[in-house]
Amino acid sequence: MGAIQRVFNKDKNLSRLIVVFLAVFAVCAFMKGSLFLSVSNFQSIGKQFPEFGLLAIAMAFTLYTAGIDLSVVAVANLSAVLVAKILPAVITPETSPEMVLVILFLAFIGALLFGTLCGAINGFLIGWVGITPILATLGTQALFTGCAIVLTNGSTLGGLPKEVANGMGANVLGLPVPFIIFAVFALLSVFVMEKSTLGYKLRMLGTSVKASTFSGFNNVRLFLANYMISGFLSAVAGLVMLGRFNSAKADYGASYVMEVILIAVLGGVDPYGGKGNMKGVIIAIFIVQMISSWLNMYEGISNFYRQIIWGVLLILVLIYNYVVSEREKKKASK
Amino acid sequence: MKLKNKLVTAVLGALLCVTVAGCGGGGEQAASNDSAEHVVETTDVATQGAKKDWKIAVVVKDSSNGWFARMEQGVKQYAADTGINAYQKGPVSTDAAQQVQVIQDVINQDINALCVVPVDPAAVDPVLQEARNKGIVVITHEGSTCKNSDYDLEAFNNAGYGAFIMDKLQESMGGQGTYTTMVAHLTNASQNEWANGAVAEQEAKYPGLHLLDNPKRVESENNSEKAYQVAKEVLKSHPEVTGFVGTSSMDTPGIARAINELGLKGKVFVVGTGMPNECRSLIQDGSLSYITLWDPAEAGYAMCVMARMILEGKTIENGTNLGLKSYENLVVSKDNPHLFMGAGWIAINKDNVDKYNF
Repeated sequence: MGAIQRVFNKDKNLSRLIVVFLAVFAVCAFMKGSLFLSVSNFQSIGKQFPEFGLLAIAMAFTLYTAGIDLSVVAVANLSAVLVAKILPAVITPETSPEMVLVILFLAFIGALLFGTLCGAINGFLIGWVGITPILATLGTQALFTGCAIVLTNGSTLGGLPKEVANGMGANVLGLPVPFIIFAVFALLSVFVMEKSTLGYKLRMLGTSVKASTFSGFNNVRLFLANYMISGFLSAVAGLVMLGRFNSAKADYGASYVMEVILIAVLGGVDPYGGKGNMKGVIIAIFIVQMISSWLNMYEGISNFYRQIIWGVLLILVLIYNYVVSEREKKKASK
Repeated sequence: MKLKNKLVTAVLGALLCVTVAGCGGGGEQAASNDSAEHVVETTDVATQGAKKDWKIAVVVKDSSNGWFARMEQGVKQYAADTGINAYQKGPVSTDAAQQVQVIQDVINQDINALCVVPVDPAAVDPVLQEARNKGIVVITHEGSTCKNSDYDLEAFNNAGYGAFIMDKLQESMGGQGTYTTMVAHLTNASQNEWANGAVAEQEAKYPGLHLLDNPKRVESENNSEKAYQVAKEVLKSHPEVTGFVGTSSMDTPGIARAINELGLKGKVFVVGTGMPNECRSLIQDGSLSYITLWDPAEAGYAMCVMARMILEGKTIENGTNLGLKSYENLVVSKDNPHLFMGAGWIAINKDNVDKYNF
């Protein structure tokens, strides 16, 4: 018991989330039994959350520095639209299968670089020009979405080589490809946020910009790095959506913006910056997806209940965090 | 540790309360299926079948939209009429990505058939393919470009709908006068087909009416304000115009507002696509003669009937009767053998506008 308590105390937030996760899992398994516990249900879940999970991690990075990135979905879509614009123009029926793979690879790398560049624009506006993150990214969100609309005339771009959808729809060793992509970038993010010097510096920046300056950190560079990571992860999410929907459009996933802020906060990232961890965000992504799949198993339950549950969860987490921080303040002042 | 436990319990407790409340709501809804509101007129054909233990899911664009709430009434009535487990689901906002998520969940629920009104036909195609690989029958509505569906069911063919609008306009204008047509954009395929259908009907049947020489067709840019301005310009520069064919659901109320404002009520008439709630006051005060549309409840019901027919091995062909007034004689499209159309247009005026709440 002592050992469990030690582990629990080591990271209370994470432990709490894991308890909630297990409880939700138990409730779902208990109430839906074999339907919920089937392999195909878990494979479905593995295809569903990566696109918004990656966006939630991107969002968490920016919340971590007391910022926010409202342009995540716009960057994802613009990157995907660029790929969908270029591929059909470059690849002809005569292109050899090997060549198609090479072109796909290059196009995806290009999209990731482009997403990173979009993030750099955000970082520049916030770090160098000094615009408040919420306003800067609201502006770039409109800008990036606008570009995507102009490029597509507001319609859907299809006609992608079949490798794109087949690849994203495949399972490797029973694991859906989107899940594998998510796992790779989630682990990298955990490492960057929690183990690297960059993560440490970002935490300093999130806690206090002044303190970070006086510690001799280059804040502009940190903001740039922070939003470039966010842009990069958004582009990854965009490519996942490109494969999942076999098409690109300016407004796919437009409703994800609010959802991913919620997930990041639920995962324990403090919107005032400096606090929180990536593991918590990842568990929160699982919790959110599990509840949503579970609710969709009930024929009579409207999806509005999903919104209600999210709302209740978010408010409870915020109240809880407030109570805890007040308690800590009192303790410290004693 | 104590406090922590309490809080964890509180969070979980709240979560459970909400979800249990959700289940409770679900139970009530299921129970009310027996007394589902009777919104769709059907014949015996609609409810016939060999087996009852089918599970049919309908996934719509957006469950917070009145149009699809009306569709759900049709689906619920189908479930009540037949005893088949048919139900409707949809995302809370019109977002293709969210709709794909819902479909992905629904196809894991051991369903036999899936009826979809896609937000974006291209985006749902991969997940529909997954559904068909599982042996699920897939039917789309307003999604004729989906590649992975067994059949697409549309309420009507475009020319027929245009002719229907013209019939109602002719009636309102008393068989005399000059009219012109409005579309959202001259590049919009279906709306221009409706307008062409209306003009063709007039030329074939109503010699008393004339299409205005110039402009024959004006654009509203799918904006009711623009429709209002354009209609005002037309009425000022061409006082001989006494009729408008509206095609987009933004055209019709815009034109009616212009008629109302210029004091031409009862002298100039407009008939076209419109939503009952949006147009109710204009219909009631007489500025708008008829709005035309198809009934989403009927479309929802018809998709379920079609799904069951396919599940029970019946073929869908030219002339198939789904047992609903608007879908008693399906017509196959000339260009697409999987596209079937009904004659599901309805006209709403002062007398019946209060029956429709969407």
